[in-house]
Amino acid sequence: MKDLKHLIYFEHLLQDAENQLIKEARHDGKICVAYTCENIPEPLLNLPGAFSARLRAPRTGSMEMSTYYMTSFLCEYSRALLERAIEGGFNFADCIITPDGCTMMNRAVENMELLKTMGKDKPKFFFQYMEIPMKADDNGLNLYVLQCKNHILKPLSENYGLDVSDAAIRKAVAEHNEVCRLIREIGDFRKEERPRITGYEFHIITLATYVAPKYLIVDKLRETLEELKTREPEEKAYRARVVVTGSEIDDVDYIKLVEDCGAYVCADRFCLGSIPGRNPIELKDDEDALTQVCRHYMYSCQCPRMMNMEKMLGRRALVNQLAKDYKADGIIYEQIKFCDPWAYERMLGSHILHDDYGYPVLSVDRPYCIGTSGQMRTRIQAFVESIEIKNIQGGGK
Amino acid sequence: MAKAIGADRLGDFYTNGKVRKRREWRGLADTMYDYSRWLFIMLTLGKFIIKPRNVKAMFRYRWMANYLAVPMMVDRHTQGLRQEYLRIAHIEQDLVVEDVAKLLDSLFRGDRRIGNDKEFSKKVVLVDENEMTAVMMGFPTLKGLSRETVSSYIPVLLNQKAACHYIDVAQEFGLAGDVCPMPEMEAGVSIDDDAPVLGACAIQCNTTCDGSLLGNGVISKRLELEDGIPCFQLAAPLRHREDDVQEYAAQEIRNAIAFIEKHTGEKWDWKYYFECAKRVNFSTAQRLSWLEMSKTDYPQVFGSNLALYTETNYMAICGKVPAFVKADKKISALAERAFRAKKRAAREYRHRAIVWGVQSHFYMDFLVWLLNCWGIVPLTDMLSMVSTKVIAEEDTPENREQAYYDMAWLTENMIMRNRTHGGYKVLLDELWEFCEQFNADMVILWEHMSCKALDGLHGQFEEMSRARGIHLVWVGHDLFDPRVISRQGVRDQVNNYMRTVFREEPIDPSLEILPDEDSW
Repeated sequence: MKDLKHLIYFEHLLQDAENQLIKEARHDGKICVAYTCENIPEPLLNLPGAFSARLRAPRTGSMEMSTYYMTSFLCEYSRALLERAIEGGFNFADCIITPDGCTMMNRAVENMELLKTMGKDKPKFFFQYMEIPMKADDNGLNLYVLQCKNHILKPLSENYGLDVSDAAIRKAVAEHNEVCRLIREIGDFRKEERPRITGYEFHIITLATYVAPKYLIVDKLRETLEELKTREPEEKAYRARVVVTGSEIDDVDYIKLVEDCGAYVCADRFCLGSIPGRNPIELKDDEDALTQVCRHYMYSCQCPRMMNMEKMLGRRALVNQLAKDYKADGIIYEQIKFCDPWAYERMLGSHILHDDYGYPVLSVDRPYCIGTSGQMRTRIQAFVESIEIKNIQGGGK
Repeated sequence: MAKAIGADRLGDFYTNGKVRKRREWRGLADTMYDYSRWLFIMLTLGKFIIKPRNVKAMFRYRWMANYLAVPMMVDRHTQGLRQEYLRIAHIEQDLVVEDVAKLLDSLFRGDRRIGNDKEFSKKVVLVDENEMTAVMMGFPTLKGLSRETVSSYIPVLLNQKAACHYIDVAQEFGLAGDVCPMPEMEAGVSIDDDAPVLGACAIQCNTTCDGSLLGNGVISKRLELEDGIPCFQLAAPLRHREDDVQEYAAQEIRNAIAFIEKHTGEKWDWKYYFECAKRVNFSTAQRLSWLEMSKTDYPQVFGSNLALYTETNYMAICGKVPAFVKADKKISALAERAFRAKKRAAREYRHRAIVWGVQSHFYMDFLVWLLNCWGIVPLTDMLSMVSTKVIAEEDTPENREQAYYDMAWLTENMIMRNRTHGGYKVLLDELWEFCEQFNADMVILWEHMSCKALDGLHGQFEEMSRARGIHLVWVGHDLFDPRVISRQGVRDQVNNYMRTVFREEPIDPSLEILPDEDSW
């Protein structure tokens, strides 16, 4: 296939935590609201005058300092973030909002606060920790709304004078939805028999929308969508189509590695992937926007810490649905090593999707950065071969 | 062989086998008392095993074999103790033993595979192992039973290797090996289908950590989808010190109660609730008085016995069993007597320590060893530093509303959870406050290696203790799994610190290295 015009541009945005567009937005006088987890409603961080930046630690190498503070038993994502914060890599942020979601992420941000890694020379800088519901119900929704008011809207309004009105939220949601619509449309090309976008390219584009101000990236997304409409797909077919599901994949080389092994990543269901993170938020006029935003996040959230039965069953049912919609031959359940929530979900999900739904499943854990792992390559190659053999033998799923 | 405290070389009792060479001689009066309590425990076990259904359970459930080691466990927790201390330990331990025997008996009575008493089973509400049972304080006719307590928690106290099989089962099923072994074992029991099946419904809770929360998913899958027992997931807030989560927490309690009422047909009884609340407050007051004593030079109620007793009384009993009030009174009377006489539990007290973090479950009697070997007094521990809030205990319309918040508060502040959740202040900052209050010169910091909440503040503990001039001794372990760090591995961490940093010699050198790798 012909290279996408803006692919290198998107790739560059992922090379540094403080990318070019963040610099531009800050130059425009916007407030940078850093966050770490899918459970923080993104539009509320993108109110007029602010933009969100999901913290990543690209090109992570040594994590010695954060390992001293948090030991080697915490997941590498949390350690990589702390390491980068200690190095001063997140000094562009004007505040950080994190959920007390998984313990490790919470501890990473607490260490950032205790070590005073951020906010130097920024008197208005604040750390906020949110309680996020662990069940999707009315009680959870009330909590979510209250927490967003107290830990997002109030401090943003009081510290930075941002407009947190219903109208402002609706405006932010509209901007958010435009990005989501573009990503969804781009992502839908993956359903094609001969897809005109690779899983790797899609992952790059999706990740970029989380780490760059939306108003600065949306034009490039539009252009990319237009370009894709006429793009000629690859002649050669992939050996297998897989859904990748599990904990957050910041290392774009992981998807590349999977595709280099002959598997096409037709759907992404990880923390900050496109499903459900880039599903538009439908707002009605007869209810306040904040409640609707919270309801959307609470009911669409696929985080394994959501503990009620409907959510647990729903997580596996969604993977099954994705496999059907995107015509997957198999499923890769992955988790960052030491991630407790996904350790359990991966164990159960990989058995249920195999035993109850009949898919070939590969279940793996991996470090934060894994792009060149020979071990992982071997496992994926073997998985692809096993799917091929099944297909040859007529076993199908 | 001596009556005096510290006269025996306690290490000489150890063999390479499962049990000790012989029982300890503590002087005539104490030995006879200890022996009478040993007989009481044997009687409790005898009364339990005489029932055919319990014999059947012994052969059905793999973990049941560990209960043969109950007398040995009590012996481990009474090593070197004399006079009031011996009696306090027995009151605590024996009541816990009795309570667990009743729990086992009830579970097997309703168990579909064993007793299959269907009418009884309809009155049972299953609760989590690590769950505060406050939501059962208003149901006098129902039984809140914990399967995980008897299948996972207690067996590891009895036999250090009890968890190994179930940990392996969970890992063979695909669970990562780096998660906490406690929920891992519970998941293993569930995967092995090795838990009693009974109950009208179950209340699960996001207890101490992400692992516990997620482990519940494995259990509820079998319980609800295969055994047909409906489960309610009680989501207690994590940032439990914040005002803006309390209404949510109270509503979760209301919802849990409504769920129980729906599935059992029973109605919430306010009269019974407030009776229980009075007992909760009484126990809290007693615990506070013991902690006050521990702030002086003559601590009386401390160590692993306090931790185990508090865990049972505060969390599993939660005011529902009057026998614990009686026990509280007896303990207080003994403690006050010893306090007035300025007695001490060991020959020599060298250091005053706060024991923090998550204890090594397979070596719960380590605190006894600390005292006897090195003269380190474990003044209090993290498990015992739970809520001291007085809850509403008079039945008034206002208090009925307040009661939901009280139950929520207790649930949020269940043991361990009140420190592992709630932000760094409750785990980190309050430790230093306790060091000051208790005049402690050292902290024994259990580092349960797969406890992410503790590990996540490792560096902060180090730096802050150094800044305050407090000796911090890391004691690493893997909670339920002695294959990772053995009991001697645990001891060596203290031995090394005491010899190299303090340059001290042990009070009882026979305890420094013990051949207990194969011991129960």
